[in-house]
Parts: sequence; C-alpha cells; structure tokens
Amino acid sequence: MARKKSCCWKGIKKGTDMLGNHKDLLGIEQLTSQDIHHIFKTAATMKEILERPIKKLPTLRGKGVGMLFYEASTRTRVSFETAAKTLGADVGSFAVTTSSVNKGESLLDTAKTLQAMKFDLIVVRHASSGAGEFLARNLNAGIINAGDGQHEHPTQALLDAFTLYEKFGQQGEAGHGREGRTSPDSSLFAGRKIVIVGDILHSRVARSNALCLQRLGADVTFVGPPTLLPPEMACCGVTLSHDLDISLRGADAVMALRLQLERQQSGLFPSVREYTALYGLTSARLAQANCATGQTPLVLHPGPMNRGVEIDSVLADSLQSMIEEQVTNGVAIRMALIYLLIGGN
Amino acid sequence: MWLIKNVHVVDPAQDLDAICDVEFDERIRNIIKHNANTQNTLPVDADSPDEHTVSGRKTSEAAPSGNTVQVIDGRGKYLFPGFVDVHAHLREPGREDKEDLASGAQAAARGGFTTVLCMANTQPVIDNRGLVEFVINQGSQAEGARVWPVAAVTKGLKGEELVNMVELHNAGAVAFSDDGRGIQRGQTMLLALQYAQLTGRPIISHCEEDSLAANGSMRRGPQSARLGLTGIPAAAESVMAARDILLAEETAGRLHLAHMSASATVTLLGWAKKQGIDVTGEVNPHHLIFCDEDIGLTDTALKVNPPLPSAADREILIEALANGTIDMLATDHAPHTWEEKAQPFAEAPFGINAFETALSAVWMSLVEPGKLSVSRLVRAWSLNPARRFSLAGGSLSPGTPADVVLFDPSHTRVIGEGTWMSKSTNTPYWGKPMHGFAIATWVGGIKHC
Ligand SMILES: [Zn+2]
Repeated sequence: MARKKSCCWKGIKKGTDMLGNHKDLLGIEQLTSQDIHHIFKTAATMKEILERPIKKLPTLRGKGVGMLFYEASTRTRVSFETAAKTLGADVGSFAVTTSSVNKGESLLDTAKTLQAMKFDLIVVRHASSGAGEFLARNLNAGIINAGDGQHEHPTQALLDAFTLYEKFGQQGEAGHGREGRTSPDSSLFAGRKIVIVGDILHSRVARSNALCLQRLGADVTFVGPPTLLPPEMACCGVTLSHDLDISLRGADAVMALRLQLERQQSGLFPSVREYTALYGLTSARLAQANCATGQTPLVLHPGPMNRGVEIDSVLADSLQSMIEEQVTNGVAIRMALIYLLIGGN
Repeated sequence: MWLIKNVHVVDPAQDLDAICDVEFDERIRNIIKHNANTQNTLPVDADSPDEHTVSGRKTSEAAPSGNTVQVIDGRGKYLFPGFVDVHAHLREPGREDKEDLASGAQAAARGGFTTVLCMANTQPVIDNRGLVEFVINQGSQAEGARVWPVAAVTKGLKGEELVNMVELHNAGAVAFSDDGRGIQRGQTMLLALQYAQLTGRPIISHCEEDSLAANGSMRRGPQSARLGLTGIPAAAESVMAARDILLAEETAGRLHLAHMSASATVTLLGWAKKQGIDVTGEVNPHHLIFCDEDIGLTDTALKVNPPLPSAADREILIEALANGTIDMLATDHAPHTWEEKAQPFAEAPFGINAFETALSAVWMSLVEPGKLSVSRLVRAWSLNPARRFSLAGGSLSPGTPADVVLFDPSHTRVIGEGTWMSKSTNTPYWGKPMHGFAIATWVGGIKHC
C-alpha cells in the first residue's frame, strides 16, 4: 500500500516540573487544591517582587517563552510578556498579524515551526477548544493555555481566585468576615458562595472559575437566561439559577461576564435591554441583596466591561481599584506559573 | 472450486445455523449439513435432495474442467454470506488522496464486505449518468467488493432540483441520497419520495436539521458542556426523521434512515413500521460502541456525524438492532487524511475509517458480550441490506453468486501498517489489538485477502 502515517500526534512527551507532574497548564481540571495553594503562595512572593523598585530577576535567564495568540488580546498577552520578562526569560511573540498563522497554516505546522525554535514554554490562545492540549501533545515545550475556545482559561481563573483569596484573607484579619474568623489559608473559601452571571454557555472563564473555586471549597452558582445557561452546564457541579436577585442573597462575591453582543443577533436573547434588566449587575441590585442579608458581595469582572450592559457605570467606576489590583495579580500569577513550569531544576 | 469443511454456517435466509461443508465456484454449489445426532451429511438444498457427498454430481459438473478443489478446514470458524454495506464514502472522484474506488473495494473485501454502496458526495457530485457509469466501471475493475453507486437526490447536493432519477437508475444507481447533508426543504423531500417510485429504489435520508446542528462538533450534553465544544442536540436528527417518515407516509414512498443515532429516532422508526410505512433504518457500529463520554479534546478519530450518542441512547440503539426495529448495520466508512484529523476537535472533519475494523469491533463489543446474536449480525449486515436495496448476496442459497466470508472469531490483528488496505488511517482502533476477522472473502467465487 501507499505511504501510511502513524497517529504520532497522540504521542505523549515527558517532563517533570514543580507543578505536580505537569509540564503544561492546560486547564484547572488538572490541578488539585494543593496545586492551587502552591501557585497562590508562589504568586504572593512574585507580587512582593513586583512591588520592589528593581523588578527584574535573573531566574529564567536563557529560557525562551513564545506567545502564540490566534485571538487578539493585548491585555492577556502583555500580562504574560511582563511576567516572563520580569523573570528574565526571552520572549518571542507570534501575533496573528505578524506570522503565518493567518495564512491558513495548520496548527500542526505552526507547532513544528515552534518546535524547531526550541522554546521552553509556549503561551497559546486559540478559538478552538483543546488547541492547548493539541499543542501539548505535539511539542516538547511546556504549554500554558491562555484561553481555548469555550473550554478553559485557567490563568484568568487563578488570578480571579487569587484576588478573592487576598480579599477573604483581609476580611478575616479585619474581623469583618462572616464570623470575624481567622481561618487558615486553605479554608478561606470553605462555605463561600460565589455567583457567576452572564453568558455561561460560551464562557471559558466561567468554566475555569467554577472548577477553581469549587476545588478551593466554595459553592458556585451560575446565573443566566436558559439560552445561555442550559441544564447541561450543571456538569461542572455548580448550582444553576435564572434569577440573579435571589442568587445574590448571601453571596460573598459575584462575577459578571462580558456579554458578546453578537449573541443577540443569533437570537440567544431578545434584546440587550431585556438582558440588562434581568442580568445586569447594578449598585441597586447589590444594595437590595445587602438589605436582605446584611452582606454586600465583592464584585469581579474579567474585563473588558460593557458599561451599562452586564455592569452599570457607577459600579464599573467603583471597581476601578480592584481592576488595577487584578492586573498586578495577573502578572504575579503568570510569573508563578511560568516559574513553576520551567524554573525548576 | 472451493470446499470449506466443518465450518459453522450461519445463513438466516435459509434458517441455517449449523456445522456444514460448503462448496462453491463462482456460485454456491452445495451445502452439506452435518447432522448433530447421526453425523450423517444431508444437503440443505431441498431442490437437490440426492446430494449426499461433497464429491457428488453437482461438484464435478460445476467445476470448470481442469480445476482442482481447494479444501479449507473450517473448524472453529464461521462461514457467512458476504456482508453488504449500504453506507460508505469512497471519495472518488475528487479526493483520491483519502480513498479511491479501488482501495475502498479492497479494504471492504478485507473487512468481510462483498458489496458496498458508495455515497454521492464526491467532487464532483454523482448526480449524472456519466459519473454513475464511471463509478460502476471503476468499481468493476477493482479487486475487491462489488461497488454500487448511490446517486444524489438533488443536483449538486443543493437540495433544490431532483436528479434524473430514472436515467441514473437505468445506469446502475441502486438508491438516492444527498448524504453528507440533510435535505432542508420538506417539499424537496416530498417530491423525491414521490418521484423515486418510478425506480422502485429507496431515498436514503441523512437526517440533519441544519439550524439545530449548526457548527456543532459532538452530541449536546454534559460532556459537550464540560469540553466547551458546541453541542448538536439529538433532536437535530430526530425532527428530520419524523418529517421524512410522515412524508413517506404521505407519498407511499420508500425511505431508508441513514446512521440512526438517537433514541427518539428509534421510537419514530418503530411507530412508522407499525403504521405500515415503507421505512427501514441503519445504525453504524461506532454509535453502538462509543458514546459522548469517550470523547476527549484531541480524540478527533471519534468525531463523527451524526455525533456519538449519550450512553443511554447507545443502549437503546443496541436493543433496537437486536430486536429488529433497526433493520441493518452500515459502516459509514469515511476516510480522511491524517493531516485533516490532526487539528483541534472543532476543526477536524467528521468520519471514521471503518471497513477493516467494523466487523471485529461489532464482534468484540456486541456479539461476544451477548448483546447481539450471530444470526442477527448476519441478518442485519447481509440479508436485510441485500433485500432492501435489491442487491445480489445476503444468502448462501445454492445457485446464488458465491459472495462468501470465512470468519475466524479468534484471529487477532494489531490494527496498523502491515495489513491495512484503505488509503487513510482515521480509526480509533489504530495501533490497538483486535480479534474476530474475516480471514478470507470471496466475491463471485474469487478470493480476496
Ligand atoms: Zn450521512
């Protein structure tokens, strides 16, 4: 018979590191709660370094980190680049506009090119679920998934959870946690109720956050209209709700997801007006929740925000300080991950 | 002349399930049943009750002069009427890099198939007389299974204008199908079911409602949600099956449902049969063996259309095949290049390369665990498809063409380069050991593989 090829893309490559047995971070799915706490501890150290006047470290001198972004996201890419450079690594970037990725070259061909460039770590964002796993199976380099289709966005989830971890820790110290408790770090999330509201079905952020927060011990509720929150989303082990006001009662934190406005064109909700009326996060809604339970949930948004759609302008402004904090936390978390994946001996 | 001795013959058409000696040249000549009690040999062919020995009159008459009898010891093996596969994609013309009529016919014969029907969604589409004749000519030159074309229902598979059905039937098309996509307009399907009655041939419906299936890559359910892959609801198939069944009733047309994958489609088929509507259905081995939970993000070999069912639906499909609600098995053999499948799941094409693994897969997953009887297997993959599509084969009745498969339930192979005949390797079994294979396949008495 004519030439045959074996299914070598199924080949597994080896590699040990300081993050369990993983050479890659493809999703929260692969992490235990100990892994996550280990990442948080490392990120806390990295954050201290970021607050020093001289930030640059020699730790990863001579290591190469490649950025492969099939979807434009300046914020995430810059965050990774800053993290890698701060650790002393060399950074190569393959934005869609500057490489062959937009000329119909297959992901496999791109992987072969990257293999030849001998990167130690590749950060990939791609519109297809599983693109990170695909590269991980075809490359010796470690892979960090910076968002794959509607599947996972683990670094976003880790930075969101890290931000909550710090806030919950401060609440404990200040004595206005629910019981003024001073709990050990590992139980900061125990019994916490966290609401994620919006287009859950199409959101990799929602999936990764739910997995991460539950692994840390929190109870997660997904909220959205049935078209964006179908029953199979219960697969993540979360509570499903179509009523935001009821869900906000007693919540420790709420995360509003960015609404892709083109979902309205495909008929998934009738109008932005109706969506905002039902699922927009407003100060009035939060006040109402506070009236009911005496507790105002912390508000998170993975950004960029559609003001007046999933979040009102007043709330968006009041979030500004937290958002800046999240930018720093994002760099710290990514430094921690890069270090844990390729910084070990 | 071939003589297979002491072989376990299973031929539901003759109600035969016994140890026999079978002789054939280009036609089946004689089947001598070993009587379990007396060890006497008796012919099963009622028309020739005086044949008692294998070297009897008919043997010498039938053997071309100078031909010797080749004897095969069939102990521990089965002899079946050749398997008839009514759903395959042989890719010629247009995508000969994936498969062509010659390699497809060879791979089919290796897998135990003596007749295969190839779908019309080639490039160009098999929607005219020239291409129907091309497929028949290429197929007849291939050293393997008999190949018959299924012609398109509509020109260019556009779902609009009907092909010249009578002309294409006269040229050799054995059925009509726009397989690869569903016919979206109800009126087109209604007219097709009516007009095809001039040919007596069924319309094979690929039941898929485009707006429901839109851009999905696996069955909608907890696993699609977990993986973040766009789900295709089971209803994308079932609503079209319901429509087509009602249109078959309306028109008294002949309908065949391709690759059934959902429990509601099974219910609809059962209902239709009770109503006396002229409808049959097929199921693919992969829908009986795998389910949505088996899919991981890099398992593109398991990406098929219709998508793998839920575990619960899979059990209903198995039961429906075993009890006869679903009439037949069919492979939906769909070769794709390695490069096409080496992509992220959502971007890879649909389809499993099935000819050379399907029989073993069904044997291991369904027959051995007792979910499907051997006689039901033969009925569903040989007799029923041959009858429904008016094809040669389906039985080992003396006088019929010798389309025969010698099956060894313990023959083991590691699926891979050594024995593989298809041009593509997109099978979930690649590199894995399997057992239960056709160790010889005769098409009109000519031995292949
Ligand atoms: Zn089809």
